Amino acid sequence: MDLYVKDGKIVEKVNERKAKVIDASGMIVMPGGVDIHSHIAGSAVNFGRLLRPEDHFKDVEAKTPLTRSGVGYSVPSTFTTGYRYARMGYTTVMNPAMAPLEARHTHEELDDTPMLDKATYPLLGDWWFVLEYLRDGMIEECARHVAWMINATKGYAIKLVNPGGLEAWGSGRNVRNIDDPVPHFNITPREIIRCLCKVNQILHMPHTIHVHTNNLGKPGNYLTALETMKCVENLSKGDRPIIHITHCQFSAFKGSDWRTMESGAEEIAKYVNGHSHVTLDMGQVVFTDTTTMTADGPFQYILHQLSGNKWVNHDVETETSSGIVPFRYRRKSYVHATQWSIGLELALLIEDPWKIFLTTDHPNAAPFTTYPKIISWLMSRNARKKAMEKISRRARRKSLLPSIEREYSFYEIAIATRAGTAKCLGLRQKGHLGVGADADIAIYNLNPKEVDPSKKYMAVRRAFGKSAYTIKDGEIVAKDGEIVKSVNGRTFWVDVKLSSASEEVASDMKRRFREYWTVEYENYPVPEGYLTRSAPLSVKAEV
Amino acid sequence: MKNNVITSVKNACAVGESKFLNYASHRCLKPLIRKNGELVEASLDEAIQKSAEILAGASYPILYGWSCTSCEAIRVGLELAEEIGGVIDNTSTICHGPSVLSIQDVGIASCTLGQLRHRADLIIYWGSNPWSAHPRHIDRYTAFSKGRFQPSAWRGYLSRLSATLTKKRLLRAASLVLRRKVSVPPEVDQSPSYALARKERRMIVVDVRRTRSAELADYFLRVEPNKDYELLQALRMLIRDEELDVDEVAGVPVAVLEEIADIMIGCELGVIFFGVGLTMSQGKLRNVDAALSLVRDLNQRTKFLIMPMRGHFNVTGADMVFTWQTGFPYAVDFSHGYPRYNPGETSLIDILCRGEADAGLVVASDPVAHFPREAVQNLVNNPLIVIDPHVSATSLMADVVIPSAFVGIETEGTAYRMDHVPLPLKKVVEPPDGCLPDTVILQRILRQVRKLRRREGEGN
Amino acid sequence: MEAKCITPNDFAGKTINEIAKLPIWEGNKERTLGELFKIEGETNVAPEEFSIQIFGDLSRVRGVGSKMSVGKIIVEGNAGMHLGEGMKGGAILVKGDVDSWAGSMMEAGTIEIMRNVGDYVGAPYRGSTMGMKGGTIVVHGNAGYEVGCFMRGGLIKIHGNVGQFVGVHMRDGTILVEGDSEGRAGAGMLEGKIILCGYVPSILPTFTIESLRPNVKVNEERVAGPFYRFVGDLADGGDGKLFVLQVKNPHLNFYEKYL
Repeated sequence: MDLYVKDGKIVEKVNERKAKVIDASGMIVMPGGVDIHSHIAGSAVNFGRLLRPEDHFKDVEAKTPLTRSGVGYSVPSTFTTGYRYARMGYTTVMNPAMAPLEARHTHEELDDTPMLDKATYPLLGDWWFVLEYLRDGMIEECARHVAWMINATKGYAIKLVNPGGLEAWGSGRNVRNIDDPVPHFNITPREIIRCLCKVNQILHMPHTIHVHTNNLGKPGNYLTALETMKCVENLSKGDRPIIHITHCQFSAFKGSDWRTMESGAEEIAKYVNGHSHVTLDMGQVVFTDTTTMTADGPFQYILHQLSGNKWVNHDVETETSSGIVPFRYRRKSYVHATQWSIGLELALLIEDPWKIFLTTDHPNAAPFTTYPKIISWLMSRNARKKAMEKISRRARRKSLLPSIEREYSFYEIAIATRAGTAKCLGLRQKGHLGVGADADIAIYNLNPKEVDPSKKYMAVRRAFGKSAYTIKDGEIVAKDGEIVKSVNGRTFWVDVKLSSASEEVASDMKRRFREYWTVEYENYPVPEGYLTRSAPLSVKAEV
Repeated sequence: MKNNVITSVKNACAVGESKFLNYASHRCLKPLIRKNGELVEASLDEAIQKSAEILAGASYPILYGWSCTSCEAIRVGLELAEEIGGVIDNTSTICHGPSVLSIQDVGIASCTLGQLRHRADLIIYWGSNPWSAHPRHIDRYTAFSKGRFQPSAWRGYLSRLSATLTKKRLLRAASLVLRRKVSVPPEVDQSPSYALARKERRMIVVDVRRTRSAELADYFLRVEPNKDYELLQALRMLIRDEELDVDEVAGVPVAVLEEIADIMIGCELGVIFFGVGLTMSQGKLRNVDAALSLVRDLNQRTKFLIMPMRGHFNVTGADMVFTWQTGFPYAVDFSHGYPRYNPGETSLIDILCRGEADAGLVVASDPVAHFPREAVQNLVNNPLIVIDPHVSATSLMADVVIPSAFVGIETEGTAYRMDHVPLPLKKVVEPPDGCLPDTVILQRILRQVRKLRRREGEGN
Repeated sequence: MEAKCITPNDFAGKTINEIAKLPIWEGNKERTLGELFKIEGETNVAPEEFSIQIFGDLSRVRGVGSKMSVGKIIVEGNAGMHLGEGMKGGAILVKGDVDSWAGSMMEAGTIEIMRNVGDYVGAPYRGSTMGMKGGTIVVHGNAGYEVGCFMRGGLIKIHGNVGQFVGVHMRDGTILVEGDSEGRAGAGMLEGKIILCGYVPSILPTFTIESLRPNVKVNEERVAGPFYRFVGDLADGGDGKLFVLQVKNPHLNFYEKYL
């Protein structure tokens, strides 16, 4: 089957005499990778870079005539991030957390990240405006203001992290479960999640709400994850998902403390298998030295206390927080090995590959450069067995993996890393190779007819680590793991058009601005011209 | 504004007002090149060409400044440094560099300023004098500001002030009546009251002398010069409920320290702002290490945060841009083709004092006026290019001078506040003829450098 | 200049010509070792027996002996920064002064410096807590600031004086200072031993006196005291031992009342 590319799109046919031909016979051709959740830009990520010079000096990339220099390993510099993704055949990456007050910073960094199309999700689950309108029962006003915020920050989706917990963390506290009221505001996380789910529907956002659950990283939290998924069940209209639980591995712990902690993947998989309103991504752990960074301030503080490692905290007024702690996942640690197992169990027990996607919550569970390894674990029982030989014995005994025979096919990998994520994000021109799609193509040097991924998992790893060709918008940008052309991608954002009262919202924001923030109203929104290649998706809201 | 000239400024602090009103004086208006020992006017093209020649041929060029220009210009600066294989450094190196080094060892519990306005009930200024250096800090963000959960401490201050004034007036009246000098023993460090649940914010100032900021504070600790490290470590022990062997630390009685520790543990949300009093006194990065560790330890008992009082304009922005593009915040060495970082080795003052640089580019900064003599000597003994809106000691010693537009007044850009909040800077007036923005000048130099290197490559 | 290839590991088994072609850096220019040095001698020697003798002032040459694991290097002059960085074995002897970061991240082997050394002896890279793990560093002259920063093992012996913060954030290992120190010794230390045989202006308030010892053991030797034995750094919950020679520090005898 042949593919035709012209002017950056996949087309029916081209003039073959004038066209450049790429012989991909005996290779796998997939759409370019679409990463639904990877921390690559913004103030938290940059603090992570600043915090870890010792992570950088061992992993450097020298300047070439085509590429800028940079450093890795777990929090690479911006140019290096773009090049490394491109070398693996990825062409779209979503930055999943942005403090709205610091949106400008995120966009500046995204603009300095080459090779990729990107977007970012503003953190809205603890925004005072949301909490107040919710408390007062004014969901339409809430929706209007959320729309203002998405436009102002050039955001793509509504992100919630430990909803309610971050506001409590501003005063050093946290919420204990989804029915624990937020101090000073007297509303519960359950109400925040439901409210924003409704808002998301009212605004017709392309993606669902993207949720990092409460109690992340706490033994027993699989119940919170289930409660979170259940609490919006009755808002579902039809078969479409209305909530995305991100890096679910961190929210799938059973047990009551670290000694009794074990996998809750089975229960979560059971629920997801029986319901169609939820999507998840893995958050797969790999045994390496990495850096955790999330907006979940209280969780990051606990991680600092557990590990004794250096800790950065950054609370953002009126909106959210963040924390960064370097962390090493060890094979011989019972807890870490169980976490490793949980991610894979989730992906293998959930039957529909359109419901669960491959991520490592980069860099929290592992750097994104480990994706090829994870692909090999999903595709090969042998690879999993080999990895399990070296892990904690107790974790090995309790893991469900030995009893799971399933192995992902190439087709399922394509869904987990591109088709499924693109669909979930509402990016209609990504994740497929049909006519009209953006010509973002990855060609991997692997012949599915000759190579059995179950046995030759090292070949799978190698192939997915270095694409034979990466094509972005119809141009060959990487070949055999080398960047051959440096390009700049687009920044997607959602341009929410309100049906009415948009000026009222703006003047309302203006009037109240100084009470909430310490910057001026005029300086807050990010103008479209700020983005080098702005690519808005227009939606029309119901309010 | 009138006729493209700023006539008055509203709502700015003294530092900001002076910037807006004086930007037009002492300007560099024409490109200059040194010929036969004298700086003579030249065309912009000539100046760019000469700059490119100097930089392209150098073995270890340095690029310094960056804190008084926009992030957009800094991005070009980094690209240029990488192209010529030089060392790029910003003013953190002489100011809060030690703070960055400590953060890299310990981490930092911090926030944006609004968090403090809304929630902080204990504010500590350590080795910092906001009254002079950051004039609006106290009334915009801390003690005298009004937040959602914390009222202003302005009233308390006023009543204290009026109490003191009343006392002075009464003393004067008494001495007039009694026809002799009546005095009251001088006020030593005020002893804190044991009042419960004071609703107002409290402010503590720790410094080597009683500054104007100290006058506004509820408590003032005079610390012996260069002994901040001991004081901070002692507080860390007290926070852990351990006892100290000694009776006083750094000139402060342990009994007072114990009370301060109690106040710190008992507050709702406290913050320490620290300045060059810590970063530049003996101990340097270890002083900051101790302060960061103290705040980290305090988080076990209550919510506590810490923030360096950054000084130069967009130095935070410079740190940010350096970090996202290279992984390192300052003192970045590109000489081996990739970013390397080791303050002490790749930091500018050290490089200059060892006489290792062989060319220099200075952007919107005046190192000749501020650096140690040995460093200045090495800077001016080598070819030096200066891009600056103003005439300065450095531009007078340069070999090439290129006039630029003032960021935030004559040209727009992005800058970062001390708490890492990015802000857009507007263009308010037109720059003088021939004064281009730094971004444009740097891009032209970069283009010329690339041309020269290509020609050289072809020649080989 | 950076010349990380000057190690017995890199030289052994190569001809003189090949050694001369080894790459080094001068600023941003790539050069070869032969452009900087005149090279001669016998190279057909096993790595363990390999000996490199360097004549000249290498104050500006960084990274000599980097990551070496066997053999010997003798510098007949001064040496630059990062001497023996990440060393895994073998021996380095420098007859002159050495700049900062000598023996940083060292794992094993010996470094002997006949004159003075700069700051950060045995220290880790910025942001890391992995300092010197093992091996021995002996300095006959003075040392600068933060000797043994984040040290994790091994022995550092300074015959002369040291600057402030000797043994800062020490995790384990032993530091012996025969000369005077500038104070703040053992700041942030968790474990390990620091022995100061000269004048110490003051002890950090977060150290507490434990006993008066007649002598203290350093590897197999016994250093004669009597020493004040302090424990700290209590601000970090540390259990490191700081020994201070009594006779050189009469101004510290007020601590005796706590014994």
